[in-house]
Amino acid sequence: MARRDRGAEPLPRVRPPSLLALRLRAVGHAVARAPGRHLVAAIALAAVAVGVGYAVERGVRWIDTYPLIGSVADAALRRSVEAFVTVLVVAVAFSVLTTAITTLYAAGDLPLLLAWPLPATTVFRLKVVETYLGSAALPAMLTLPVVAGLGLARDAPASYYPQAIAAVLALFALPVAGGALLALVLVRLAPAGRVREVATGASVVLAAGLVVALRALRPEQLAALTPEEFEAFLRDFAALDLGASPASWAAAVVWQAMGGGWSAALPWLLGSAVLALVAIGGAAAWAYQAGWARSLDGTARRRDPRPRGAAPWERPVARWGPAGAVAVKDVRLSGRDPSQWSQLLVLLALAGVVLVSTASLEVDGQRFRDVVGTLNVALLGFLLAGVGVRLAFPAVSLEGEGWWLVRTGPVGVGSILAAKFATAWPPILLLGVGLAAAQAALVDVSPNLASAAVVAGALASVAVAALGVGLGAAFPRFSANQAAEVPMSPGGLLYMAASLTYAAGLTVLLAYPAWATLVDPSGPLWATPAGRWTAVLAVAWTAAFSLPALAFGRARLVRHEPGQD
Amino acid sequence: MIEVAGFRKRYGRHLAVAGIDLTAAPGRVTALLGPNGAGKSTTIRAITGLLRPTAGSVRVVGHDVVRQPLAAKRALGYVPDRPYLYGKLTARELLRFVARLREVADGEARIERWLGAFGLAEVGNELVETYSHGMRQKLTFAVAMLPDPEVLVVDEPMVGLDPRAARHVRELLRGHADRGRTVLLTTHAMDVAESLADHVVVLHQGRVAARGDVADLGLAAGVAEADLEAIFLRLTEEAEAVAPPWRDVTGEPSRSRA
Repeated sequence: MARRDRGAEPLPRVRPPSLLALRLRAVGHAVARAPGRHLVAAIALAAVAVGVGYAVERGVRWIDTYPLIGSVADAALRRSVEAFVTVLVVAVAFSVLTTAITTLYAAGDLPLLLAWPLPATTVFRLKVVETYLGSAALPAMLTLPVVAGLGLARDAPASYYPQAIAAVLALFALPVAGGALLALVLVRLAPAGRVREVATGASVVLAAGLVVALRALRPEQLAALTPEEFEAFLRDFAALDLGASPASWAAAVVWQAMGGGWSAALPWLLGSAVLALVAIGGAAAWAYQAGWARSLDGTARRRDPRPRGAAPWERPVARWGPAGAVAVKDVRLSGRDPSQWSQLLVLLALAGVVLVSTASLEVDGQRFRDVVGTLNVALLGFLLAGVGVRLAFPAVSLEGEGWWLVRTGPVGVGSILAAKFATAWPPILLLGVGLAAAQAALVDVSPNLASAAVVAGALASVAVAALGVGLGAAFPRFSANQAAEVPMSPGGLLYMAASLTYAAGLTVLLAYPAWATLVDPSGPLWATPAGRWTAVLAVAWTAAFSLPALAFGRARLVRHEPGQD
Repeated sequence: MIEVAGFRKRYGRHLAVAGIDLTAAPGRVTALLGPNGAGKSTTIRAITGLLRPTAGSVRVVGHDVVRQPLAAKRALGYVPDRPYLYGKLTARELLRFVARLREVADGEARIERWLGAFGLAEVGNELVETYSHGMRQKLTFAVAMLPDPEVLVVDEPMVGLDPRAARHVRELLRGHADRGRTVLLTTHAMDVAESLADHVVVLHQGRVAARGDVADLGLAAGVAEADLEAIFLRLTEEAEAVAPPWRDVTGEPSRSRA
């Protein structure tokens, strides 16, 4: 040091690094490393945004010219936008819990960042921004095309767009701050070491409850209203006052801006958002450093050192050899990892939505019931494809950083995939067959069609599980933090394309049993040559998707090397 | 026995290993040394079947790792440099999983033996995610040793271990080799290599720079009476010469170079 002092040359002042700039640079490097993957994702996102914007623009133009509702169209539209945004805001408030706990209190880079010569509040402001991006970016991106479509339909001035964008971005900051505040309470009060499980459980149950509750409102009842009743409903809806909610402030800004004006709600909204985010950043900085977040620490209960043997259910599965060992391990991990068991809660919510929808249908006449039953079976294939992307596709990737343990063991990749299939298939089978049977019973379709529905549900579950496991193995992402991240890849897109094609083909094959049932509801179906051929073709169609997917996944996974995903 | 012949590994344009021959014999501890980026981890990963060679062959107890992977892996125990394990399993469940995966006959008895050997029996019912780094490293050793493998491959064995556990691991590796098993380890701790290894292979820029026991290496390096650290530094001094001068980085001369 003395030598440096003698130099008498003052060191230049160095500006503290911008953490946000560092993060952006890291994102830039990630894009440069896999440009194709990011280009595909950007194109898909842009396509969705353009599609939503176009649909809104056409819809609003249609509403504006519809004579029946013309008088209340504007107010009804405004209430609809408010309701849509309110649902998204509530969804963000629920989903932000786990993100906030991870980024604000359990992020791996926090000790390093806090060791830098930076104020802790600066570090936590960055973490708040990360929380916002992690939980609200997608809903905000979904809302922006809606307001853009609205502006285009109403020929809004140029000043409308920056105001609308600012209102949307500020609006979603409020549930983020609210969720982060709830996280602050949870990290103190949840049982030791169990805060993530509590947060995930709470988020999923609340979000699933919201979806089921929205569905239980049965919007299809509107179709049964007379024109006079519908107009009366619209007037009531238009007069509905949501009170001084953030959604109504955002709507006020949007509608004022559409007319070329400036709403006083905009600075109010922006100010609230900035204040809430800054406050939550400060609170998190204090909580982290004061040791408030005690629920993140390990368990405090008394240890039981006595050896615990295998559970009775493990033994028959373990007799399957190394593949059975993988299956037992996967079941145990699924039961303990909130990002995995929460998927089963989502499945239950989905089943609830489908059954509420089916039960609300009032169809007279056997033929119409059979038509509805056929449509239900067709939709079931697409529904299962959506389920598989969360349950089957991530199965291999969820090995995560423990993959080396399986890969260096004496078990073939084929056996690993068989084990993954064996654990992913049962819940999808249960959902497919259960929903097919329940829908057939609720709609009261002919016995022939009911049996076709159950067979279709079972076959679709096989194809979806095989496509998910196979293509998930072909494009693994062992570095993904949770199941929801895994399908966001070209492999995920390939899975969706393949499974939707399969579901479409199965629907075409179902045309014969549906036609035969409509012609002769009580006649023999599976005993006829055509019926048997239909069954054989359905099985062959299922095998044509399932087996190549598993073989492709096996071939790619055998060649997979660390660091490739 | 591990036999690596003409092994090359290329990642795109980058040649990580330029062709090495290596034999780790039963009854000996073989140490694979080298500066960062010399190709040690790549070689270890090829031996354990995590990587496929671009050229050459890797055999474990006579079985080609690419063509007969299951036979080769049946003989192999592996301790990676970072102890990534399934955090949501307890130590007992993890070891039971490994016992089933490797079809170990008296699994439960061995599980308790290895948990006891590493002082983990008390916490054997706790989730691995609650373990410290050192406890995970011990558990990783238990995972590798549970099937009593014919070949044990250890990447950086002492990272995160307390002094007592480090001594235990040294005795464990020595004892395993003395029972006629093959032990291959990589390490940057020269004292560990010097005290344990019967045979040393020094990798440098993807090639074998020298091999033999410590005395052989001393002769090869022209520093016959020196310890392994000095020998290693001499053998790899070419790499040191091209490293950036420390003065430019810190503004002060390095104490070690002064």
